[in-house]
Amino acid sequence: MSILIDGLLAILAIYLALQSLLAPRLSQSVFLFFAFGLALALAWVRLGAVDVAITEAAIAAGFLGVLFLDALRDFSSTISEKHNNTEAIQSSASRKKIKTFLLPRLAFGVGLGLFLLISLEAIWQIPQGGGLTAAAESMLPESGVEHPVTAVLLNFRAYDTWLEIGVILLGLLAIFVTGGIKIYTKPDVVAKDPLLRQVILFFTPVLFLFGAFLLYIGKSGPGGAFQAAVLWGAIGILLHLGGKPVFAMIPRWVGQLVLIMGLGFFLLMGFVFMSGGATLFEYPKAYAGTLILIVETLAAISIAAALTAIYANLNQMKEEPKENESAN
Amino acid sequence: MTIYEVITVILLLVGCFFFLAGTLGVLRFPDLFSRLHALTKADNLGLGFIAAGMALHIASPWAAVKIFFIWFFTLLASSTSCYLIARFQREQDQPGKGKEDRE
Repeated sequence: MSILIDGLLAILAIYLALQSLLAPRLSQSVFLFFAFGLALALAWVRLGAVDVAITEAAIAAGFLGVLFLDALRDFSSTISEKHNNTEAIQSSASRKKIKTFLLPRLAFGVGLGLFLLISLEAIWQIPQGGGLTAAAESMLPESGVEHPVTAVLLNFRAYDTWLEIGVILLGLLAIFVTGGIKIYTKPDVVAKDPLLRQVILFFTPVLFLFGAFLLYIGKSGPGGAFQAAVLWGAIGILLHLGGKPVFAMIPRWVGQLVLIMGLGFFLLMGFVFMSGGATLFEYPKAYAGTLILIVETLAAISIAAALTAIYANLNQMKEEPKENESAN
Repeated sequence: MTIYEVITVILLLVGCFFFLAGTLGVLRFPDLFSRLHALTKADNLGLGFIAAGMALHIASPWAAVKIFFIWFFTLLASSTSCYLIARFQREQDQPGKGKEDRE
């Protein structure tokens, strides 16, 4: 029975991935991609990696979904604006297509071959006897937490996690650079719809509570900073959509502080303990649990702020030219 | 097979039936409003039956409360998004009319 479910899930995931690549319309691709993310999350649950499943569902189906929908709206408006020119573009595009038809196919073939080779090698090299699980679990009492995944992420391989937080911040910086730093210009737009406003008011504390729960439960079970951050980021995005852009309401320096807080505290703590003779990101054993919780909380707040800011900036970028057009 | 299992199976089957009906509605109904109706109403009912079935199956009060909250939040989110999509579509169809109603 379980092999039947796993098989169906595997087929479904691959089918959805292919469909989302091959769908004729952009909106279909986007929605199939959501479905693919959820199928993938289910597959992770079946593999026993609940942490990854929560993150996959929250990031791929949740946060990326919001970004994709936003992009879709931009695309549909630009397409409808340029509808008159489409025929000319299409005819020239079809002429170009014939010339460059061979190259994409060749690239696709080579890529597929390489992918198959790498997957074969990965399957070949699956470590027998559970890989590093035993090593991680034997050190678990010293890590300060009870859940092996959190122990690896926040203690044994803290450097990786620190870099991951940095990567999100770098993404935000890239958006700042391309979109201009002039943001958050419309602070006093209030959600016009009473129902939407009430629902946002209702969901804000619920999401906050659930995020805090995920953050705390990370000590002993699946959950943690990234999962909590996505939920808290959802609060920010909801408030932004409901006409309360969070970053416009707080002073600029507070926003910047919140954005770098997680990364900064993590690094500072690493250096402080390094000066005491430990290696980078090594915790003193007595306080490890508390320190990990503090680091995770600050990191979650920072990631949530970064995700909100990414969305707010992307949303802002296309609104500005529209205003210019109407002025002209 | 105890009586609880029988009831669970019945609840799950009824839930699946409503999901099927909702999906059929989305695929076959002609316009956005009736499709939204099929999707949100029938699917939420189906989810409610499946949640009831699962709560009975797990038979732990805390899990039952959690499952109930899952259903409740889904209900809230889907009815709100249904309303928002429908409102957007109406304003697309009849520009200006929605605004007059609201003011």
